Amino acid sequence: MAQTQTLALVEEIESLVSDKLQVVSYKWLSRNYMISSNEAKRLLQEFVEKHDGGLEVVYALSGWLKGSHPSYHIRLVTGPKLAEAQQEFDGNCSIQVYSVQASIPKDPAVLWNAEFIQAEELFKQPWSVDNCLRDNRFCGISSSFVQRNVDGMPVVAATPLTKASVGIGQTKMNVLQPQKNIAHDTIPRADLKSEDVVKDVKSESNGTGSTGVHDQVNKPSEDKEKVVPAGKKKAQSDKSGSSTGGSLASFWGRASAKPKPSSVPVESSNTVSNHNVATEDAQASAREADGSGDDDNQDVTVRRSSNRKRRVVFDLSDEDEDVVSLSSPELPKKQSSQDSKQKDNKSSEKATLNSDTKRENKPMAKEEKSSDKKANQPFQEELSVINKCTNNGKSSSEKPQSCAPDISVNKDSTKNAAPGSPKRRKVMKTRIDERGREVTEVVWEGEETEAKKADKVATKKSENNVSTNSVNSGPATKKTPAVANTTGKGSKKTVNKDPKQGNILSFFKRV
Amino acid sequence: MGMDSEKNSLCRLQCSYASLDEAFEIGKETYRGQQYSQIYFARLHLMRTLLYSLVSQWKPQTPVCTVLGLEQGKECVIVGTLYKHMKLKPCILDEYSKERSAVPLVRPHNFMHDDDYLVLEDESGRVKLGGDLISPSVFVTGIVVALHGKETGAGDFSVLEVLEAGLPPQIEFPLKSREDKYIVLVSGLNVGSSDSNPLQLQLFIDHITGHLGDEKEQSIASQIVHVVIAGNSIGIPRGLVNGQNLASKDLSRIAEPIKELDILLNQIAAGLPLDIMPGPNDPANFSLPQQPLHRCLFPGSAAYNTFRSCTNPHSFEIDNIRFLGTSGQNVDDLEKYSDAKDKLEFMERTLRWRHLAPTAPNTLGCYPYTDSDPFFIESCPHVYFVGNQDKYESRVIKGSEGQFVRLISVPKFSESGVAVVVNLRDLECHALSFGTQFSS
Repeated sequence: MAQTQTLALVEEIESLVSDKLQVVSYKWLSRNYMISSNEAKRLLQEFVEKHDGGLEVVYALSGWLKGSHPSYHIRLVTGPKLAEAQQEFDGNCSIQVYSVQASIPKDPAVLWNAEFIQAEELFKQPWSVDNCLRDNRFCGISSSFVQRNVDGMPVVAATPLTKASVGIGQTKMNVLQPQKNIAHDTIPRADLKSEDVVKDVKSESNGTGSTGVHDQVNKPSEDKEKVVPAGKKKAQSDKSGSSTGGSLASFWGRASAKPKPSSVPVESSNTVSNHNVATEDAQASAREADGSGDDDNQDVTVRRSSNRKRRVVFDLSDEDEDVVSLSSPELPKKQSSQDSKQKDNKSSEKATLNSDTKRENKPMAKEEKSSDKKANQPFQEELSVINKCTNNGKSSSEKPQSCAPDISVNKDSTKNAAPGSPKRRKVMKTRIDERGREVTEVVWEGEETEAKKADKVATKKSENNVSTNSVNSGPATKKTPAVANTTGKGSKKTVNKDPKQGNILSFFKRV
Repeated sequence: MGMDSEKNSLCRLQCSYASLDEAFEIGKETYRGQQYSQIYFARLHLMRTLLYSLVSQWKPQTPVCTVLGLEQGKECVIVGTLYKHMKLKPCILDEYSKERSAVPLVRPHNFMHDDDYLVLEDESGRVKLGGDLISPSVFVTGIVVALHGKETGAGDFSVLEVLEAGLPPQIEFPLKSREDKYIVLVSGLNVGSSDSNPLQLQLFIDHITGHLGDEKEQSIASQIVHVVIAGNSIGIPRGLVNGQNLASKDLSRIAEPIKELDILLNQIAAGLPLDIMPGPNDPANFSLPQQPLHRCLFPGSAAYNTFRSCTNPHSFEIDNIRFLGTSGQNVDDLEKYSDAKDKLEFMERTLRWRHLAPTAPNTLGCYPYTDSDPFFIESCPHVYFVGNQDKYESRVIKGSEGQFVRLISVPKFSESGVAVVVNLRDLECHALSFGTQFSS
């Protein structure tokens, strides 16, 4: 190591210890400045020699203990006790500087803390990155047989570095990182599977995987988010895992695949909605992809903010539905505009947002709801804003509602999977029944609304809903009982009863 | 040990590894509501055939008969399962007894009493055992033995001699002189508990992976070929896991120790092969044999080919040397119901009885096997270790057919800071201890 580098490092150590009062252990030093452990120890030794006084030094003594049973002992001692501790060893013990710090803490674990935080940071890095924690490159022993499975492909550990290959200035490691990211931008294009994969990343983040789906599971969500805008087109076509082949078919597949992650534990709905949006947007428009930019970071922030905004929209739609069930049929139309703009799943998700009890096959929606509960807000005008925005698609507007157009665009370009998925939604409704009791029920609200919405939408918007109208009215006709529910009138024949209250007719039917 | 041409770079030695845990995995067993009689029956059958063959050499003239076939005054040999009647052993029926008799104070860690007596049972019946030669303090319920004696007038069986199964046959120890290779055994890391010292554990990891120490020490460390963690790696506060719903801040208190352990194991697995066994306090099932800790608990470490999650008990072979070990439940249970001078003696007894956990399923949780008893020791190990004990002890025992076993009691690392290192060349072992005392 060059003399100048050594000097510079020594000075840095000094500043860290004296000014920032940090514990500088050899391990921390080696990881921070990308030097091998032996180098780091040597460096600390030099530092201690040059810099006398004012600092506490902890030495690591190791050797065989005196005594009848052979015992190899390693101990940390502070400077003053060094000589005394050496006596306990039988013969020579090796002395090395373990750490330097401003003062000795009472609790030895404090010494370990700085190192552990560093280790944690390294640990949290994306799976694909091979950092010095993961390949143990700075130790004195090389183990070439160790392999780490990333994406199902083993990555052989690097041999320990003897010379610092990276300059001093570089703090947190990973020279490799930018390269890897680029590399992985291309690879995970095939990655963008349905949300269940994404969810697996969050919920399990299992290191190894055998299937194609799980191979990509290893990547954390941020990677996905970065990758999402970049690889959307290909992702759509490369969809595997739970979805079927082909881009269109895969789109339908995704619609039905979404229910799958019902087994996945409820995650932060944030990520769910993020990924929902991400993947939705992915399929939708090329413009999205381009507009989001090539800079991954920006993508992330853009995506996140758009997701947040998107969630806000959902909130509004939540309230929307609450109100819908009880009062005006006008709102359904706004709802429907959103519905038609969004995938059917989304609409049913919103529906389930209101049913806080059962988890049907749209758990994601439920998750969104659980976090998105907000007070009633005037949303009519916002909805109209949504309706107004057309295919511009850019989620660049600051207003939360601007996300909805994205959704609408998505809906358009991807033909709705309407026929396949159920159009009904469960909605909590409170009403006074014929006996004068206040009844809160979970009600299937569906096609009628859809049909109504379809009608109204046609009046409001042109291009967005043309394709969806016909789709909507199709299933609407099938479910006539549901129609009766949604009018909000007094007498309702609810298809779905409050589970606690039985229907007296069921008694006769069963007989 | 090889010094590379590259400066200061040692190569870690390697060894061949074969896992023999298949018997302990409950993959194909199905639970159809069976009770434990079947495992006892399987055990009796297994060991009786073995004992019959031994009895014919031990007492060729004496006839073997069943318990029901005992005749008074006639010397014979009977083979069956021992049952120890213990006065102080907690029994569920005591809660329902009408009279609340004053039960003597029970020491929670040992239920022995002078009035305990042994009973031998086979398929036909039971008989109480008498005589001075058989001491109830040594035996526990669940052992299959052969007894030579005769029935007394009182209806007891007076024992003259006891025949245990003895050490099982052992594969030959590979004797060719080789280089020193070490395997490290450690247990009771208790990561995340308030009385564990993370600095000590980090020193341990640094040492075995080769960060710590000068060249000499690192060259010693490069000879470590394997690490086995024998249970109790996670120390989750007991009060949290009492079955109630947890607040979100408590959820992180449960998850933090496991994450911390994963980071630590990651550091080890990046350097050398690692086996981790579940223990009584780990997030694994309760009854023996404990199934391997799930890989999803260790997302970082499970990516390595060097990381292996194993059952408890764990049996494996390294360089043709057989190892058998548990996380301590079998010996701890023996300690509650019998007496011995040290833990190694308990271990020796289990080997001589050819059964890892004779008290299962009586007082030790166990899976209700239907047609086999996986704890029966078929082949004698060369090294037999038990984790989570109070202190480090080690001894060699020899068998009648030249078997040679190194018994090791591995202490809890969080309390003692001691791990055990075994040299594969000659099965010598020594302690590896770590200290971080700073206060004067």
